[in-house]
Amino acid sequence: MSSTPVPGVTGDREPLPSPSSSAARPRPPVGWRRRIWRLVPYVPALVPAAIVVAIAATLVVASGLHNFGLGFFGLAFNSNLNQFGMLVFIVGSFLTAVPALFLSMAIGLGIAIASTTYLPPFLAKIFDPFVDLLAGIPSVVYGIWAFLVIAPIFGNLLNPWAVAHLSFIPGFAGNSVSPTTAGVGLPISIFVLTLMSLPITTLLIRDALRSVPRDLWESGLALGATRWEVVRRVSLRHGSRGIWSAAFLGFGRAIGETVAVAMVIGSTDKLPTNVYDVTWTMSSFMFQTLDAAFGNSLYLAALAELALVLLVITLAVNLLGRRLVRHIYAEEVAGL
Amino acid sequence: MATAVGSAVRLDPSDDLRRGDTGWLRWRTGFDRWMGVLLPLLFGVAILPILDVVYYISAKAVPTLSWSVLTSYADYQAQDALGVPIVTTFLFMLAATAIAVALGLFGGIATAEFLPERAAGWVRMSANLLAGMPSVIVGYFGYFAFVIYFGWGLNFIAGVFTLAFFMTPYIFRTADLAFSSIPRPIREAAYGSGAKPVQYILRVGTPIAFPQILTGVFLAMAIGVGETAPIILTVQPGLLVPNTLFQPAVYMTYLIWTGFSQPANSVALTLAFQAAFLIIIAVLALNIVVRFVAARYRKRLEGLYQ
Repeated sequence: MSSTPVPGVTGDREPLPSPSSSAARPRPPVGWRRRIWRLVPYVPALVPAAIVVAIAATLVVASGLHNFGLGFFGLAFNSNLNQFGMLVFIVGSFLTAVPALFLSMAIGLGIAIASTTYLPPFLAKIFDPFVDLLAGIPSVVYGIWAFLVIAPIFGNLLNPWAVAHLSFIPGFAGNSVSPTTAGVGLPISIFVLTLMSLPITTLLIRDALRSVPRDLWESGLALGATRWEVVRRVSLRHGSRGIWSAAFLGFGRAIGETVAVAMVIGSTDKLPTNVYDVTWTMSSFMFQTLDAAFGNSLYLAALAELALVLLVITLAVNLLGRRLVRHIYAEEVAGL
Repeated sequence: MATAVGSAVRLDPSDDLRRGDTGWLRWRTGFDRWMGVLLPLLFGVAILPILDVVYYISAKAVPTLSWSVLTSYADYQAQDALGVPIVTTFLFMLAATAIAVALGLFGGIATAEFLPERAAGWVRMSANLLAGMPSVIVGYFGYFAFVIYFGWGLNFIAGVFTLAFFMTPYIFRTADLAFSSIPRPIREAAYGSGAKPVQYILRVGTPIAFPQILTGVFLAMAIGVGETAPIILTVQPGLLVPNTLFQPAVYMTYLIWTGFSQPANSVALTLAFQAAFLIIIAVLALNIVVRFVAARYRKRLEGLYQ
């Protein structure tokens, strides 16, 4: 760096003295009144944090924590004998949420790549809001639609087809579901959860792909790569944090989904014996059995403890997902 | 994918072309073209279900809906009457939105305007965590805190507060976002010409941010009106519009749940479809208003820079 500044060359200019550097100009001492006034904005700002803490604290108090010990994560569930092993529901939650997440990530990646890369912008502008609207349909409406429209399709068409043609895969043989509940069970729950987590995953992946600098995109094409090769090797790498965050937040959605799943999971406190079987998830079990637990304080405590387990899972997943991305709210991306 | 030996991908086809071998190049461009056809088809996975939901519910509900059904205050368990659920749901939304705005709006503004960057980051994280909370957990919180510990019982007010807590983070986040996205020069001009923080917020910030905050309120209402678990867990369905805060009250989504759990009951099923139809209409209308306002707002913000 030369000592004689050359006019017009910005790189060689002497840096201006920063007004904010406290070393150059010490700030006047802050009076106690002003200090207290500075704390005032924290009162409303901490409301969401306070609600989160209140929810956690209430569930801790309601569960009593000490009641169950390790038996809580066992298989023995019988409310009449006061046995509260919740493993079935935890397993059921993961059995539905994990496949749903994989499906919704795959479809979300496809939609996001199509919308950012292949579709002409005016078509993308028409189609993208539909995916966002998917999030607007209430969960209970999905549930009754899936129960009345989709469950017969699974029961009469897809499940029998899979039994006939895929039975060489372990778990795909035999349909233990009775004809009355045909179609209800794991596959349709995964279907519903895929649909319901699709908006958030698509939204976040789309944003991750859009945030790839144009220069990178164009230099990829200039090197002779096809659009697909640029997406695969440049955009997906560049946006990998956003895509991971989509996975975490999508999982949080899927595992917390309550009412729609309660309508199609079959509500049975048994582990599934094949891939078509009915079972139960944490959230739908909690939703459907609170009435039954009324008056049985131990049952209520067990349910509260299960809520605590679900709370810890969703908080952890959401924390991880939100730490990964640069924008402050995912909804910012939707232009809302 | 048939990749070349030696490097991860062989992008330069000139060697092959010189040898007269165009196979690899044709495979690559062909793959790209097929992706261009197949990937947009995945939009169908999202669009077909939403169209089918709307079509199915409308086809079931519209033939049975009439003005007399919407305005009849008769017992909804005995006959097709939606008056009580509609009015009660309006009351729920009104009260819950008011509480949620009171809880979320000021926090959002304070976070955007006054909190240092680090603290704001943590506060935003907490709002995100609350928004990501499963509805059944909020419902359990409402049940244990309001119904049991506060002793409010399974009444209107417990549901209102549970719903309000559920809606708060959405309002908080849009208020924060609206004030954060006010152009810096405008802020600096206001403070530079001697405005006090409160004056800046009321006279400068609010007029600019108001449309976006309104979209946040609408969005929270759209989310709240479709919510089921928090209400069912904290309120007992009542047959009448509640006169006081401590009375049972019915919610629209409860009708859908009842229709599901009593599929043999034709009245319950009819009511379920009608309620689902009205909720879809409300949610879609709110979403369209939100998009419309948001688009106009963005134009206005762009105008502010000129």
